[in-house]
Amino acid sequence: MVSAWSWQRANVAASLWCIAVGLAMMALWLAEPAGLAARHPWLFGMKFNAALAFVVIGTALGLAARGHKRLPALMTVPVFLYGALALSQHLFGIDAGIDTLLHRPFVDIGTSLPGRIAPNTALCLMLVSLALALRAHSGRSGMLQVALGFIAFIIAAAALIGYAIALDFAHDWIRFTRMSFQSASCFVAVSIALIFAGTETAGYQRVTLAGMLGLATYLLLLAMSYYELGRYEASFGITFSRDGANARSTLSSLVLISGALYGGLVAHLYVSSRRARRMAADLAESRARLTAIIDNAVDGVITIDDRGIILSANAACRRIFGFSPEEMTGRNVNMLMPEPYHSEHDRYISNYNHSGEAKIIGIGREVEGRRKDGTVFPLDLAVAKLELDGTVIYSGVVRDISERKASEQALIEANAELEEFAYRTSHDLRSPIASSLGLLTISKDMLADGELTALGQTLGRMEQNFRRLDHLIQNIITITRNRLMEEEERPIALRTLVSEAIDALSHLEDSKRIRIENHVPAELTIVSKPSKFQVIVGNMLSNAVKYHDPKEAEPAIDIRAFRYAGKLRLSVEDNGLGVPPASRHLLFKMFKRLHPNRSFGSGLGLYILRKSAEALGGTALYEARDKGSRFIIELPDGDRA
Amino acid sequence: MNIQSILVVDDDENDQFICEYTIRKYDPSIRILKAFDGSEALDILHRETPDAIILDINMPVMNGFEFLDRYAEEFEVHAPVVAMLTSSHLGKDRERAMQYSFVKSYFEKPLQADHLRIMAELLDE
Repeated sequence: MVSAWSWQRANVAASLWCIAVGLAMMALWLAEPAGLAARHPWLFGMKFNAALAFVVIGTALGLAARGHKRLPALMTVPVFLYGALALSQHLFGIDAGIDTLLHRPFVDIGTSLPGRIAPNTALCLMLVSLALALRAHSGRSGMLQVALGFIAFIIAAAALIGYAIALDFAHDWIRFTRMSFQSASCFVAVSIALIFAGTETAGYQRVTLAGMLGLATYLLLLAMSYYELGRYEASFGITFSRDGANARSTLSSLVLISGALYGGLVAHLYVSSRRARRMAADLAESRARLTAIIDNAVDGVITIDDRGIILSANAACRRIFGFSPEEMTGRNVNMLMPEPYHSEHDRYISNYNHSGEAKIIGIGREVEGRRKDGTVFPLDLAVAKLELDGTVIYSGVVRDISERKASEQALIEANAELEEFAYRTSHDLRSPIASSLGLLTISKDMLADGELTALGQTLGRMEQNFRRLDHLIQNIITITRNRLMEEEERPIALRTLVSEAIDALSHLEDSKRIRIENHVPAELTIVSKPSKFQVIVGNMLSNAVKYHDPKEAEPAIDIRAFRYAGKLRLSVEDNGLGVPPASRHLLFKMFKRLHPNRSFGSGLGLYILRKSAEALGGTALYEARDKGSRFIIELPDGDRA
Repeated sequence: MNIQSILVVDDDENDQFICEYTIRKYDPSIRILKAFDGSEALDILHRETPDAIILDINMPVMNGFEFLDRYAEEFEVHAPVVAMLTSSHLGKDRERAMQYSFVKSYFEKPLQADHLRIMAELLDE
């Protein structure tokens, strides 16, 4: 846009130059300074009509540049007509009476008739006025405008250069009638504006146009000098060549040939520069595409040299390792490895360089990576060896497989847990049945012996067994339901839920002598899954009741809940038996009963508690008290949702 | 030779009752020692060595296998007959238990008079 703006300024400058020169010349003609004309006749080379025409052209150019259409287009019409008439006067030797129509010159300089303009000036006036009319009318550049401006430029530029190198024919197409240097300068200015301003939008390259302008002007000047030489030969009867057979001199031929060579050279340069530019653009594009492919790859791509120095790393490496590609480049690749690989890697490379025995190159395997923060993680690595121009580089593709490994591990754990579950259920389900079968045999004996009191006790034992079995099956159902049931989250009033759970404990004989207090604030709510939450609270409370201390004078259970560090903590604390330190690591595990002589538990209670808490995105914790236990669950606080 | 004393190691009170009843019925003269888990059993075994031990596997605090490890490590003299008595008949558990030189037999619950007869024969060997 800067370039377009500066060409706009060139346009304004050209228009101002035409107006200024035109006005100055008109003023000179009107002032009729005879002394000045005698001393400096060259000043009056531009005729009054031509000066007026340039004032009109300059004004039209300025108006067109400001977006006017009709007015500048109309202004160019009389200029074009004047140019056409002036030219036909020369061509057909007529006098249309236009030369002195507006002003009668007080002096005749550089012209065949008073006030008559040169044919090249007339032609250029036609060319620029036509081009300007097109520009003003369409409001933009176009091929015809550029072509017209182009011709006007080389004619005017040749005339200007002709003044500089004293080549008269360049401005004097016919004798005594020349294009003044003022007119030539105005034509050059206007044609530059016509050729260059706005050409970018018309699809022409300015550099190309400028080159062509220079070349065409040069060739025109050459042709003119060639013609002029011929004219001198003819008028003075000189022959430059010895045998006279060749009318043109060797010198002028050389000049022409050199011109042709120069032109050919310029054309060749132009063509090859365009080809080179296109190739460079193609190369840059394919390189950019390749870089984009590598940089947007999900996997990390790292190249190293044969000493292990990182040559490049793509953007994915930042996500995988935490290092930016800039931080990695130039450093030893062992920066991405934990010990012992970190220290051993240089040796691996030198071993490979010596023996050629590949441990990883071309194979790929699971290795460990080290992130910027020092964490070690599993990654898949595939290394390829590339030989380029005699140097060897290695490219490695790395993929973070932490997630895959974690899910593999979770699967292994889940499977082990399932196996354990099957083993323990097969045992624990059969256990009360086997016991009952034994008791049944005994009962039969007792019945045969008529020991009815003992029989009653034995039947009581059998009942106990079936209750245990029932409890176990209920627990298994709970676990299965917890695992399978899809449940909507909804707000839960915590205090109410705890009160209901306390009421549900009333069937337990022991609960009557225990003081159970609900300290949960009435306003506390949590968004969670209600039935899983009920299982959790029920479990914590029944555990606290079951494992109370029968010797404790004032057995007590306190339930508290509060928000803590973005989580909801629900705790149930008792002054019961507690958990022996040696057994604490078994808490929350499947089928673990930790209390001797209290075999009524299924060993699943705390396991269910942990699983339910985990299903709600939380954790189950245990804290020992001086006397008794504190079980805590921490759940994500969904209340704000 | 008759069995003089048996140590029953089982956490289940009903199973203890069945064992006691079955042993009494088999031979009222046998002295019965009771332990509810492995560590209680070790305490008793520090004081005396019975002719036979009936051992459950799944128990809280110290289970049957933990007990067997400790019993093998800490004791030079072992009871002549150690019989496993479990509610499940899993090959894996049986193999593991039979690796101990002093484990002579493996029974499934409930305990029966036949089991005691086998134990008496093993004691005679």
